[in-house]
Amino acid sequence: MDILEYAWLIPVIPLLAFVIVGFLGNRMKDKGGLVAILGVGGGMVLALWTAFEILTTGRVYEVSMDWVVLSSEYRLEIGVFLDNVAAMMLIVVSFIAFLVVVYSTAYIHDQGPRRHRYYTEICLFVGVMLGLVLANNFIQMFIFWELVGLCSYLLIGFWFERPAAARAAKKAFLVTRVGDVMFMIGLFLLFTELKTLNFQLVWSALDTADAATLAFAGFFLFGGAIGKSAQFPLHDWLPDAMEGPTTVSALIHAATMVNAGVYLVARAFPILTQSAEVSLFVGVIGGITAFIAATMALCAPKIKGVLAYSTVSQLGYMILALGAGAYMWHFGHYVEASIAFGAGLFHLMNHAFFKGLLFLGAGSVIHYVHTEDLNKMGGLGKYMKVTSITMLIASISIAGIPPLSGFWSKDEVLAVTFQAGDANLTFMLLWILGVLTAFMTAFYMFRMWFMVFKGKENEGTKHATEHAHHKHEAPVAMLLPLVVLAALAFGSGFSLFIGDGFFGSIYYHEAHVLSIGERLTDVFTSPLTYVSIIAAVSGIVLAYFSFLKTTVSAEKFVSKGFPKAMHKLLLDRYKFPVAYDKIGYVGLYGFSLLLDKFDRYVIDGIVNAISAFLIGAGGVVRKAQTGFVQSYTTLLLAGVSLIIILLYVVGVLR
Amino acid sequence: MLENIPILSLLLLFPLIGAVVTFSLGKNPKAAKMSALVFSAIPLVLSLLMLTEYTQTSGGYQFMESFSWIDTLGIQYIMGVDGISVPMVFLSTLLVFLAVIFSWDIEHRTHQYMALLLVLELGILGVFMSLDYFVFYIFWEVVLIPMYFLISVWGGPRRSYAAIKFFIYTHIASLVMLLGIFALYFEAGNYNGYYSFSMETINAVSPFFSDTFQIVVFGALFFGFAVKMPMFPFHTWLPDAHVEAPTAGSVLLAGLLLKMGAYGIIRVAFPALPSGAEEWQLVMVIMAILSIVYGAIMCLAQKDLKKMVAYSSISHMGIVLLGFATFSELGIAAGVFQMFAHGLITAVLFMMCGVMQHKVGTRNIPRLGGLAAKMPYAATFMVIGFQASLGLPGMVGFVAEFSVFTATYDAFGWLLLIPVISVAITAAYYIWALQRTIFGPLTKEVDTEHIHDLYWYETLPLAVLSGLIVLFGMFPGLILDYIRPALGTVVGLLGGI
Amino acid sequence: MNIPLEYILVLSSSLFIVGAAGVILKKNAIMVLMSIELMLNAANVNMVAFSSYYGDARGQVFALFSIGIAAAEVAVGLAILLNLNKLKKTVNVDDINLLRW
Repeated sequence: MDILEYAWLIPVIPLLAFVIVGFLGNRMKDKGGLVAILGVGGGMVLALWTAFEILTTGRVYEVSMDWVVLSSEYRLEIGVFLDNVAAMMLIVVSFIAFLVVVYSTAYIHDQGPRRHRYYTEICLFVGVMLGLVLANNFIQMFIFWELVGLCSYLLIGFWFERPAAARAAKKAFLVTRVGDVMFMIGLFLLFTELKTLNFQLVWSALDTADAATLAFAGFFLFGGAIGKSAQFPLHDWLPDAMEGPTTVSALIHAATMVNAGVYLVARAFPILTQSAEVSLFVGVIGGITAFIAATMALCAPKIKGVLAYSTVSQLGYMILALGAGAYMWHFGHYVEASIAFGAGLFHLMNHAFFKGLLFLGAGSVIHYVHTEDLNKMGGLGKYMKVTSITMLIASISIAGIPPLSGFWSKDEVLAVTFQAGDANLTFMLLWILGVLTAFMTAFYMFRMWFMVFKGKENEGTKHATEHAHHKHEAPVAMLLPLVVLAALAFGSGFSLFIGDGFFGSIYYHEAHVLSIGERLTDVFTSPLTYVSIIAAVSGIVLAYFSFLKTTVSAEKFVSKGFPKAMHKLLLDRYKFPVAYDKIGYVGLYGFSLLLDKFDRYVIDGIVNAISAFLIGAGGVVRKAQTGFVQSYTTLLLAGVSLIIILLYVVGVLR
Repeated sequence: MLENIPILSLLLLFPLIGAVVTFSLGKNPKAAKMSALVFSAIPLVLSLLMLTEYTQTSGGYQFMESFSWIDTLGIQYIMGVDGISVPMVFLSTLLVFLAVIFSWDIEHRTHQYMALLLVLELGILGVFMSLDYFVFYIFWEVVLIPMYFLISVWGGPRRSYAAIKFFIYTHIASLVMLLGIFALYFEAGNYNGYYSFSMETINAVSPFFSDTFQIVVFGALFFGFAVKMPMFPFHTWLPDAHVEAPTAGSVLLAGLLLKMGAYGIIRVAFPALPSGAEEWQLVMVIMAILSIVYGAIMCLAQKDLKKMVAYSSISHMGIVLLGFATFSELGIAAGVFQMFAHGLITAVLFMMCGVMQHKVGTRNIPRLGGLAAKMPYAATFMVIGFQASLGLPGMVGFVAEFSVFTATYDAFGWLLLIPVISVAITAAYYIWALQRTIFGPLTKEVDTEHIHDLYWYETLPLAVLSGLIVLFGMFPGLILDYIRPALGTVVGLLGGI
Repeated sequence: MNIPLEYILVLSSSLFIVGAAGVILKKNAIMVLMSIELMLNAANVNMVAFSSYYGDARGQVFALFSIGIAAAEVAVGLAILLNLNKLKKTVNVDDINLLRW
């Protein structure tokens, strides 16, 4: 039996669960929780098996059929395409999704009948996300892409009666929609140019296609990723998206859906390599995003806010690596480009694990203290041992301390950016931004960790611990996923050393196989590695002194002068929300109001004016109707006589 | 098995009988409703039979019936359907049937209301099936009368203004169209040596019409159809009519009457006057793009939910015209498919407006809010309808929109960037409306104490339509496979210029 | 012994002119109605005259039709006038201007 023949079942099983939960979940005692676990779990088993088969054999598998024939020239396909990248995504998505669903059963236990909606939407999400990963063409990817957007919209608005949640859901949908429109434009360009959207056919047809069209297509496809992966300047929806349940934040807005943008860039990588300008653009966007999101995370007041900005920032890293890779490929540095491609995806995988863990841990904390405000927490470490330790592991990992997973991938991302700097100095600047980001990452993560688990017990903690029934850790269903993810956050980086190593399995065209020893030498003889380690350590140290020892007072630092203004600007998120509002509400809505007036008074005015003119003209002409029968008769006779005389004169009657 | 049954005539006959029977049951509203239900169900069954019996692969007209009516003028009763009309006929019978169910709570002059719905069905089916210009025009005008009464008797507070505006505006357009039809009749008659209103006879000699003739007559026909669709700037009758019309009236108005305009372009104007169409291409494209973007932006400004949906129809019908105006197989097929898709989706939207009006007592968006808590089922259907309308993949509108835009880029290149903006704006007004109507805190503007979720006669049509939206969204081929083979002739004519 | 056609046409024309003058000038609606009858009869005379002139009986048949219809018309006209008289207490055509703007 070839397991790959059954790969199409991977999304189908969760979707089946979606249908079952959707129609019958209401009558189940747990509102469909068990079915959801079974569905997502079944999908996971199959996905892991498939991924194992692909990664161990190195096969590329595709099955495809016509979905709809649009015309003699154009047809849309549906199918399954499995290569090493898809396999890695399958592992990440299915595994984290399963853990999150298990975690959810405890986390939303108190939500009553609403759980039904939650499980329905989560099943749908997992199904379509897996469908996205399996897509063998861009249109199929776009279809599932939009559907994950829908699920994200619905789940952010899970507590729809909260105005903030309703607003955040709208914002998430609309901002990503802007990216989706660009994605669509990219699809139109590709489709008309190549008459196909199948990945492999597109990749092989690139050499013969028009270069300018391809450059634009790459640019617009990347536009889609900007929206979905929350890249600058469309990044601002993601922090707001934290209004959804924390599990949703973990699953959708940290570990899976936002990675779809990076996955798209990976799929469009060959198109990006066709144009130096577009690849450079991709890299620049990634670098800028990584940097500004990290700055905003420095002083975010809410625990999930920190994590949200951190997600945006780390996604920026991935995009940066892919951009650098595409750029280097364009100029013929194939090996380096291939490593850069792998580095971006490597970071995607590691990030998914530790960020998923961080969010689930945050959920556990929020579950305990019932607040998201960092200032109201503190000292939770002694009540929540497991949570605090697992989150510490994740924090160290994301900060980039060896040998935890975040170190390996972040180091690799920075290294390839530095290498791309040889080809273009811009990447050198981006590398500097990247190092600064690494420093800030370590700082804000430990700021968060210290503020939550160490230090003085603030009102939230006190209030929570006063209630007797709250004096325990989160339930097992929540702790188990934390522990599993902690193991992965610690060790997923070691996939560098398993078999052919990560870069020997996940690559673009050129596998980069190194033995363990070679790899270690490669990493630890490079001065760049030490730069990033120093950045990370100094970030942690600074956080330690300012938030635990309070030798350096952060409050005093931001109390006056430029730091104060900067602090304000960061809390205002660089005024991005205001700018969005200005464009959307003031600009577009204002214009629409004007246009409405135009419609009512000018266009409809013309219509009404015509009818008013006719009515008025009738009013004038009807005065001729005197009502005297005899004058009508006279006119009648005169008219007839006139006609007869005229006919006589003309000669008809003669 | 159906060779010997005049299925198309039966499709016309049953609504007619039904209208008479229903009207005569004035004493007993319940019986009138049942009779309307039965007599709208029969055409639905017939149209389903037709769907299954129709041979998709052959392009021409099928189920043809032809009788001479007025010999001296060359008027014949010719009925026939091809891949363009088959989906429209199905859509018509379906929407009328569902509209009858949805109107189950009508108490004012029930028998007349139901009879008018059936007369409307008769007219619409006649338009979609007749292949003789004269008969086509008669049915075209028949449609106006029941719609006029539906608006003016069962409508809202400004119903007489809206009804008269609707009637006169579209009637003037039909008269201009009639002039165009007569011009075709005489021109083709002069060429042939005998006079006939038969579409096939006239279309056969269309390449021999002079260019000036084609340009002028196409202008006349296009005006008639553009008003009906309606295209900017001839659209202002539509929001007024919709705002005042009863729910079933709106459903049929947007779901079917607007399609008549688009259908006229593809059935009458293009095949009869191909080089005229060529000359008018730029105008059509500009009007289409303006309608798409203008309609979408107008939606943002609307406070009345129903008016918003009405403007969105203008935007979506613009996509149909844009597809037609590409003159390519892809664009026209997608345009026709968009007609079908919009018919299904807009029916859900207008039914939701009706639900709001009935349950909450107002459709004014600022006065609504948080209704998902009170009526979860209604909210679910609203989300489905809105998402379908904004072109969510997996629902029926997406493939049509996507193909139209692909065809647009193929034909006009970067001009695509203007209409494609509407995709984002469309999402904006729908999502914003969702946020303000069903999400957020429960409104305090109206008494929400006694709000009841959907009744069966509301759930049933909404569920059927939502199911079909998803079904045809996942398998667009079910409909597209009818449409595509039928386009060979018209695309050939347009491409041959 | 044929009367020349011209004579009869002169007669009918005079009859018609008298009738037309009556319709235009008389104020009493009954008189107007009678004048209309005169005009109608002028036409009938013409029809009969031409009928005998061409030796074709159809003209006379039409004249008979016309007389019959005229009778019906007078009945309707008188009925209207009676009602008007009841309603407005007058049969003066100048006072009856219901169709006036």
